[in-house]
Parts: sequence; C-alpha cells; structure tokens
Amino acid sequence: MADEKFTREYGYHLVDEVLAGRMTRRQLLVRASVFGLSATAIGSLLAACGGGGGGGTTASPSASGSAAMPAPVMGGTLKAQIPPETAGFDPLTIFDQGGIVLVFQFCEYLLTLDDTNALKPQLALEWTPNSDGTVWTFKLRQGVKFNNGQPFEAADVVATFDRALNPKGASGALASLGGILKQGGTVATDTYTVTFNLEKPFADFPYLVCSSAYNTAILPRNYKGDIVKEPIGTGPFMLKPNSYVPKQRASFVKNPYYWGKDAQGNQLPYLDGIDFVMIQDEAAANAQLQAGAIDVEPQTVYQGAQALFVDPNLRVDSYPGTGIREVAFNITKDPWQKKELRQAVAYCLDRKAINDTLYNGRANLGYDTFWEPTVFPGSPTPPERAQDYNKAKQLLAAGGMPNGFTATLTTSKYLENPQLVQLIQQQCKPAGITVTPDIMSSTAYYAGANDVTPWLNYPWTITEWGSRPTPGVYVQAMLLPNSTWNTSHWNNPQFVSAFDSYQGTVDTAARTKYATQASQIQQDDTPIIVPYYITQFRTQRKNVYGIKGPGSFFFFCDEAFKTAS
Amino acid sequence: MLRLIGRRLLLMVPTLVLASMLIFALAEVLPGDVGRSILGPYATQEQVEQLNRELGADRPLYERYLSWAGGFVTGDWGESLLLKTPVFPVVMRAFGNSLLLALFALVIIVPTSIVVGVFAGLRRDSALDRGITISTLSMTVIPEFVSGVVLLYIFAVWLKWLPVSAMPPEGSPFYERFYYLILPAIPLMFLELGYIARMARVGTVQVLAMPYIRTAVLKGVPRSRVVFGHVLRNAMVPTVTVIGSQVGWLIGGLVVIETLFVYPGIGKLMVDAAQYHDVVMLEASVLLVAVVYMFANLLADIVVALLNPRIRKGG
Repeated sequence: MADEKFTREYGYHLVDEVLAGRMTRRQLLVRASVFGLSATAIGSLLAACGGGGGGGTTASPSASGSAAMPAPVMGGTLKAQIPPETAGFDPLTIFDQGGIVLVFQFCEYLLTLDDTNALKPQLALEWTPNSDGTVWTFKLRQGVKFNNGQPFEAADVVATFDRALNPKGASGALASLGGILKQGGTVATDTYTVTFNLEKPFADFPYLVCSSAYNTAILPRNYKGDIVKEPIGTGPFMLKPNSYVPKQRASFVKNPYYWGKDAQGNQLPYLDGIDFVMIQDEAAANAQLQAGAIDVEPQTVYQGAQALFVDPNLRVDSYPGTGIREVAFNITKDPWQKKELRQAVAYCLDRKAINDTLYNGRANLGYDTFWEPTVFPGSPTPPERAQDYNKAKQLLAAGGMPNGFTATLTTSKYLENPQLVQLIQQQCKPAGITVTPDIMSSTAYYAGANDVTPWLNYPWTITEWGSRPTPGVYVQAMLLPNSTWNTSHWNNPQFVSAFDSYQGTVDTAARTKYATQASQIQQDDTPIIVPYYITQFRTQRKNVYGIKGPGSFFFFCDEAFKTAS
Repeated sequence: MLRLIGRRLLLMVPTLVLASMLIFALAEVLPGDVGRSILGPYATQEQVEQLNRELGADRPLYERYLSWAGGFVTGDWGESLLLKTPVFPVVMRAFGNSLLLALFALVIIVPTSIVVGVFAGLRRDSALDRGITISTLSMTVIPEFVSGVVLLYIFAVWLKWLPVSAMPPEGSPFYERFYYLILPAIPLMFLELGYIARMARVGTVQVLAMPYIRTAVLKGVPRSRVVFGHVLRNAMVPTVTVIGSQVGWLIGGLVVIETLFVYPGIGKLMVDAAQYHDVVMLEASVLLVAVVYMFANLLADIVVALLNPRIRKGG
C-alpha cells in the first residue's frame, strides 16, 4: 500500500540532506521526482532549503541557439524527419528511434521525463513506494480518454503490464523489468489506483514505467494486438487514416479527446498535425532541413552536421545525454582476463581529446563507471582517469605483458563508432598496445543468437547505447551476472552485493554509500570503458518552438508550435 | 524474328526460377534472421526464437521456398514478415517510382549522348572530339553520391531552384513529378553520358571507315543523307545494346540516388529487404527487376535486329 507518511518524511529527509551539504538542490529535485512528490511539494522543499522555490535548480538544455519563446501559435502542421522504422511501430516491440518517435505521438506512459531527465506525471499523477521499495502505488489521472473515446482506467494499466510481461511475449519490457516485476504483479486497487508488487526492492522503479521504458506505453484493455489497424492511445495526436506508408511517411492529426492543457489553460496540442517523413541518410536529412523541406530532425549526429550549427535559419538544441559508447572487454577471452591490462587501456585514453574530436568538446567525460554526477545528479564523484602512459606501462608489466600486446577492437559502422576505434588505436600505440580495427555493418554486428552474436561474444567491442535514465538501469542491463546484455561477461559478487543494497534502500545517505562502493568496484575492475556520455542534438527551423524531451527519440510535440517566420 | 522473341521469352522462365532459388539461398547466408530484425538487438534469444517459430521462419529452407513459390505462381506475392503488410502493393509502388525515374533519365540521357557521341565521331580527332571525350569521361568517373550531394546543395539548398527531394507532396498533380525528378536525373546523366556517348562515337568512327560509306561519299550522296541514312543506322547497333543493358541498373540499382533524394524506389527496397531478412519482399522485388532487365535486353536485341537486317534474317 502507498505510504504517504513515508513520502512526506522522505521529503523532510531530502531537505536535511541539502541543508547538511550532502546533496545539491538539483539532486533533491531528481530524487523527489522518483518518489512521486508533487511539483507543489517539491517547490515547498526547495523553499525550505532557502534561496527561493526552485529557481536555478532545473538545468535547462544548453541550447546553442535557444531563443526566447514567443506566444504559442495555434494550428499548422509540423514536418519532421525520422529514420525509417525497422519493423513498424508496435509499442510492445519498438526498439529504434523511428518506431519510438511514432509511438510517442499517440501513446502515453504513466510517467515521462523532462528535459533534465527528471520524472514528471503523465497518465499517473502521484506515485509512492512503501518503506522498503517493494510496493509502488500509482494514482492515475482521471478524465482521460483514448483516441476512440474510451475512458482510461486502472484496468488498462494492469492489462498493459500483463501483456508486456507475458513470458511468451515479444515485448522488450520483459528484459527491462526482468527480475523486478512479473506478469500478475500489477493490481488495480480501484478505478484510478494501481499497485505494483515487485519481486525485490527497486528504488528506481518509476523510471522503469516512464517513457524511457518505451515498451510500456499504455494501451486499452481490449487492444487486439495490431497497432497499424488499431493505432490507439491517449496521446496528443492520432494517426491519420491511410497516411502510414512503411518506411516512407506517416501523418498525425490532433486527438480530439486529448486531456492536456497548457499553463494558461489552452487546449493542447497547439499543432493541427505532424507529417513525418522517414529519411535514413543523415546528409539527405540535413539538406532537407537546410532547404526548408522539413522543420525538424529529432536527432542530429554531430559528425558531418557542422553546417547546421552555423546555419542562420536553424537552431540546434543540445541536451546533456545519458547515452554512452560502451568499450567492453570480454573477460572470458584473452587477454582481457587480467584486470591490469583492462586498466592499462583505460589509462592510455585522453578522454578530453576524444571528446574534442568527436563532439567538439560538448560531451560529458566518463571515467568507466555509471555513477557520473555530471550526467546522473546525486552520483558520487569518481576519481578522474587522465592519460598516463607511465601508469599504463606499469599495469602492462603487472599484467605480464611488459612489451604490450595486440588486440582486435570490433564495432559497427554506425555513428562515431569507427572514429572512436581509430582514436583508441592511436592513443594505445605509445604504450605498446596494437589495436586492430574490425568494423562491420550494424546488421552483422548484432546478428545471431546471444551465444554467438559479435557484440556479446567478441573479445573487445564498442557498442552504442541510447539514453538510460539512471545508473541502475544501465547496471541492470549489462553489469550483473544475469544481465541480458552483459557484454563483458562480468561477474563480481562484491559489486552485485553493493548494487543490490543500493537499489534496496530509499535512504539517501545509504544510497550514496552503496553507490560509492559499487562505483569504485566498477571503475577499479574496469569491465567496460565509458569514455564519455554523449550529448544529444536536435535541430529545427528557427520558427519552431516547444518541442520537449531530452533529445534523441524523446520528441514530444504537445506544446510544439510554428510561428510565421 | 518471332521465333527469336518466342525463344527468349521461354528462356526467361528457367532463368527466373533459378534466380528465385538463388535469392532464397543467399538470403539464408546473410547474418541474422527476421525475428532479430523485428525485435532488435536488445530482445532475448528466447523471444527471437519464439517469434521466428510464429512466423514460420525456422522451417527448413526448401519448405519455405516451396511455400512461397506455390503462392507466387498463383498470384499471391505473400506478406512482408517485417512490415506485416502484403508485398504486392509495396513492391509495385516502389517499382512504379523507379520506372518513372529511369524513363525520365533515359529520355534525357539517350538523345543527348547519341547526339554528342555521333558529333564527336563525325569530327574525329578534332579539338571538339577531344573536348567531348574528356568532359564526358570526367563526368562519368564522378561517383553519383559525390555529384548528387554537390548538385543537391547548389541547386536545392543554396539557389533553391529545384526541390531537395524527388517526391512532390501528397496530392500534387502527376506532371509535377517530372519537376521533382530533374535533380536526381542529372547525376545519372553524368554517369551514363560518357559511357553511351563513347559507344556512339566508336560506332560512328567504325561505320565511317566502311567501304560503303566511302562509296556513298564518292557517288556524291549529300552528307546529311550519308549521316542519317547510313552512318546513324549502323552506328547505333552497339549503342542500343549498351542502353538495353543499362535499363536494369537504372531501375534497380539507384540505391544511392534514392537515398540521397529521399525517393522510395525499388533499389532501396531491395537493400532493406536483404538487410532485414525480409525474403518475401526481396524475392518479389528482385524478380521484378530481373524481368525488366530481361525485357530491356530483349527489346534492345529486337531494335538491333531491326537496324541490322543480317541479324534479323539470321545472316
């Protein structure tokens, strides 16, 4: 059952932490959002911390050309590019940007993320855990209807999660919620209250049912399973009949039943509709944007897009992202069984130079741990790992390879992966580590069963990971012995113990203690290198405003509008 | 002549059957499977195997082939495993787009290159001949992704004279499509001009050296009649053969142009189908392009036979 007393006390606890200097105001904001404290309550907490109610606590996206927002304009159609969806846009199985962006227009989630990755209400208004984080209660928004006029109720949430967690089903939610929530664990307490009974305490549970967990889109209880024939959801837009041509285009129009209103009480969405055109090639999409054929591209890849940054007709918004390029050592393969050799590679890297080359210095540096405070507020600060060839050579000697060694680094020909391989190759050379690049197509890199696919089995790989909202979600996915995508095949009992303790407590001081332990173990053992956390760019014409979400596939248009020029 | 056509048409049947078998077999060799394509890299192996079972993608190759072929010959082109939609309308729409672009490009390329090539042949070794040869060859060696990007930025992004994509907005009149196809057709012209013009030039030079041309000139036949009545007709034989062989590529091989100009043609459809193991889509689109390729070559042979009575009459 919900424990409102606990939530209130937790709020006071957060204030104490800020006043004691153990937590920043931004960290308070993020932690409070996890435990479902309302905006008013958070404002009160911030006021209690002194210095006013919330000003300066939310880091706005560092938009390179961010302009003052004009008054919203009603009407008009936004023309947006997305990459072609690989296999349609079934909310249960979407995994790529094209499919996810389409679903975000007509479906909604219990919670969503703001531009700073903090949770905010969507179909749920309040969410509270019990004292040990094993039972989470969500109070739902009332008066919401699906785009066919059917009312939204708790039974729809239960049906959604039972459908997604069907052990024989194909939903990606099975992996993201695996070991935490199973089919039957979601219960409707009343028409507008849902309780999640978890298999184990999980302090970051709300992040697993927010828009970041894109396979948990809320569908009606009587959904039959074919989203193209029945594109149903509660989102601000709905698919225009017969407008969807796979991998080419899709048009959306206003959902007449949409519940959303802006701060002034105006009905949302402002736009009459959105026309999506699927364009695979980044150069082609950039040309379309510069020529004015499209208004916005949700994700701009920095490499090759420098012209967009100086185009006076465009505005590039940048968002400190949580996505990474994971340089994984398969510790079951030679020579990576030896920790010293993995560490040696880590000390060969000049991360700032890598950031300057690949992101013009706009990415956040990583130090081989997921608890990175510049990306995930509240994380303990890890020791920096500067390039140090003397130390690298000492580690090589300690690892039994004083003269260095040769290793093959495999990645897909996607985004900046090949350039990152080149940089690692150059930076490892002075220490005597000869890196042989092995660049393959994305299809080949991800092909095959889990026990043979290159990305999970080759000795040394680089894999691109999109946004993940918390360190815990990353760890759950790749660093535990039972993680589905444990690229490094890492199994460290001390780390598992520290991580379980971290996820099993809601006490801030205890969480910081366990996070520090887990982070130190991860960095020291170095199963993976995290050289940087990517920055997301979204580019739009200068007359386009109000698109929300922290970049990449987070593309929310309920308050988007276009001015005349 | 009719026998030649009949024999060639009959030959198409075993060719297509063999091609369809090869496509199935080759698709099997490609890394990955359709279940993984649909569910993405982060799905568990159990989920992928389950989906493959549901889609029938785990059945033996011959069984899947026979099942597909049985449907195909009775007019059922099947359903895309990836897109969960009937293949026929998707393939035909893409094919129609590609056909339009290919025909539009050919209408520009063929007369231009023949005129340029014959002109160069008639002025052999002159400055004009050398100028034409060098400039057309230079254009041919520029890959279409280079010329395409440059043209796109000059004419669509900076000057804004031409549209940036090859497809007009939904609901535009049909004739507007040609305006949108001008820019994508130019890189194709660059590629083909040098090739076809050189064939026309070589054909012209060879024919000009023939005794019957010399006889015609010595007899006092006017130069225009020599050129149009004798030279052109005979010089066109190798040129027509080359054009015939290029039609298949112009329809099915324009992946780069289709990608750059956001044109939903059959080339990109085939690449995607191969990449994501959508064998049913791949079969339909490749066989369609193969049929076009064979018909284009047959048509070229018929034209050559019409131009050259010795071929027509089996001499």
